[in-house]
Amino acid sequence: MKLLLALLLVAQVSTDWLTHALDHPQDWMTYWGDYSAVRYRKLNQINTTNIAQLRVDWMYQTGKAGGGWETMPLVANGIMYITGPDGTAIALDAANGHPLWKYEHNFPTGHNTGQANRGLGILGDRLFMVTPDANVVALDTKTGRLLWQSEMAPFIPGARYATLAPLIVKNKVVVGISGGEHGVRGFIDAYDADTGKRAWRFYTVPLAGEPGGDTWPANGHRGGAPTWMTGTYDPLLQTIYWGTGNPGPDLYGDVRKGDNLFSCSLLALDPDTGKLKWYFQFSPHDTHDWDAAETPMLLDLPWKGKLRKVVVQANRNAFFYMLDRETGEFLEGYPYGRQTWAKGLDAEGRPILMPHSEPSPEGARVCPGLAGGTNWMAPSFSPETGLFYFTLREQCDQFFSSPPVYTEGKAYWGTFPRQVTDEPEYGLLKAMDPITGKIAWQFRFFHAPWAGTLATSGGLVFSGDEDGYLLAFDARDGKLLWKIYTGAEIRNSPMTYMAGGRQFVAIPSGAALLAFALPQ
Amino acid sequence: MKCVIILLWYSAFVFAADTGTDIYRANCAFCHGLEGRGGRGPSLVSAHVQQETSDDALKTIIHGGISGTGMPAFDLEPQDLDALVHAIRHLGGQGSAGAAVRGDAAHGQRVFAKNGCASCHRVGDQGSVFGPDLSRIGAARSAEYLRESIVNPSADIAPDYAGVTVETRDGRKVTGVRVSEDTFTVELRLPDQTYQGFEKSTVRAVTDLGKSLMPAYSLSSADLDDLVAYLASLRASSNGQVVLREKGIQ
Repeated sequence: MKLLLALLLVAQVSTDWLTHALDHPQDWMTYWGDYSAVRYRKLNQINTTNIAQLRVDWMYQTGKAGGGWETMPLVANGIMYITGPDGTAIALDAANGHPLWKYEHNFPTGHNTGQANRGLGILGDRLFMVTPDANVVALDTKTGRLLWQSEMAPFIPGARYATLAPLIVKNKVVVGISGGEHGVRGFIDAYDADTGKRAWRFYTVPLAGEPGGDTWPANGHRGGAPTWMTGTYDPLLQTIYWGTGNPGPDLYGDVRKGDNLFSCSLLALDPDTGKLKWYFQFSPHDTHDWDAAETPMLLDLPWKGKLRKVVVQANRNAFFYMLDRETGEFLEGYPYGRQTWAKGLDAEGRPILMPHSEPSPEGARVCPGLAGGTNWMAPSFSPETGLFYFTLREQCDQFFSSPPVYTEGKAYWGTFPRQVTDEPEYGLLKAMDPITGKIAWQFRFFHAPWAGTLATSGGLVFSGDEDGYLLAFDARDGKLLWKIYTGAEIRNSPMTYMAGGRQFVAIPSGAALLAFALPQ
Repeated sequence: MKCVIILLWYSAFVFAADTGTDIYRANCAFCHGLEGRGGRGPSLVSAHVQQETSDDALKTIIHGGISGTGMPAFDLEPQDLDALVHAIRHLGGQGSAGAAVRGDAAHGQRVFAKNGCASCHRVGDQGSVFGPDLSRIGAARSAEYLRESIVNPSADIAPDYAGVTVETRDGRKVTGVRVSEDTFTVELRLPDQTYQGFEKSTVRAVTDLGKSLMPAYSLSSADLDDLVAYLASLRASSNGQVVLREKGIQ
């Protein structure tokens, strides 16, 4: 009863809270922690001097088999909200992990395909989640009760589905769709947070006659450019930034000559109308599955003597980009890891291709591989060090080609590439000056990671690896200060919050959510 | 009209052959070789595949894989499956049947015992687990591959059997099969079938040997043929029981 009263009395998450999320470091109210996605927190109870004492404080077991649990916990008012890969949402006491309620999505027969889910959005007394069968649901924060449900698009098992955490902008729930490898036509939707009614939709693959439509052949199936990762938002510029994935067919370009807009691009959208303000395409006519779903981080950085509002992205194609986020102007771009497919970028940021980098019947060896130099795992940026912390995959593939035939619901790709066998993969955590590309320090992982990073004012950078280690580094010099073996791969990015006067660092690993804190 | 029909049939035939070849190169050649003569996977130009295995049986294998052999399942569209089987039938030139396995498998089993192969390899419930389990090796590898593995074991080393030497900071050197390695640890399986783990903080170097831990064997031509015939006959059923194809071998 006491807890219930406390729940009822706490303040609700408002749009003002979301706008100023960095001023509420005790909470973690969006997928990225705040609209700009810096993933930096002014929390220093855990710091470089006491990190050695960090230990597991509590854990929550889903009871499901592991395999890369990708939820990003939200924390607001001492309650943690997480999702499972099977249409579940769970509320926990953030101080001790005790469950408060659980929502289980009601799947029609055959609709629970168990795709990953990356978490929730929150506004007022409502939580928002997408489901494996491409619905958006609104839940009561206090009870998990279903408030409304809206179908994004007719479900196609395994081919059209949803995995991301919604982005809450003003009174809208902004979501995207997965299934680019199956040729579905990508879109970004906004739903009214009160009613669930769709407010707007932006299709990421234009039809003939629409802007960008002439970058596809006149005939044939048009698809792809999925929108499977959460975007970012600039409240001052009133602009949503959202990355798109591969064109369809994936990994085979002969039947879709042209740039294939708006695939592998960053889109700047008006949050009220969904109207496109500008776009930037990182990998025109992609044939390597290099989705631009990586974090579009919003920073204000000095550029040629002037403070510029920029959006930066370590793209899957192994180039780091810095764009003016008001206009989309290309400012800077350079390789951040090994790449063998482009001589460089031209003045407009368009890649200058190397020969023999296209998939071929005999197989073309290309670095990075299909998974990219990095991927959806989140980077972070510390204003204290001015460094951009991100994880890098050093791995190459042999890309084969063969013409696919489009069949709804089936994989629509040329040929899946094969990892090269004559050189082992590895991973790096890099601390990089985003303006110059200069590396301040780096740490090598034995295997290429799928975990991102978190920076705190405790002088720390947290990250994880594919072998199950959660690690903490000195943000300034990269000294490894702490590690724990969690027993299962980490395919997420660490987050931090305060509950009961204590700072926690949380990470899903396998089927367990682990929360770390200093001893009491 | 007849001419048009023939032309359409011919077009379909050519398309299927090209598509099947593309599918084969991209999905199968890595293990079975570009010409289908085998490698990590068995030969597909053998009489067993080309003459004794029906198209439907091949499709069942491709679609469902073979458990315990490294042959995965491939979810292909029916027309692609047809094209792939068509391409397999034309591997290595039309009508090629591949070389038959020669040798006396029963005597090969004695050669296996005489040379102490079981000190590293397991067949059924006999032998060591230090090296690869050979209970189904006949279903998983071509005869040519088996022959090369005996006379030149380092020609191709399965990833799970890479030999490494760990040199500790106090000067010890331990050689074994790498079971696992991550950023901070390395775990070996040793010839005595025990495991030993090392924290990399105590290790000076982890060295990939780049060659097999198995010695090269110089057998007489007849013994080599017989040993290959024995290994090629090992095709344990999926429940783990050893099935020997040649009569007289128990």
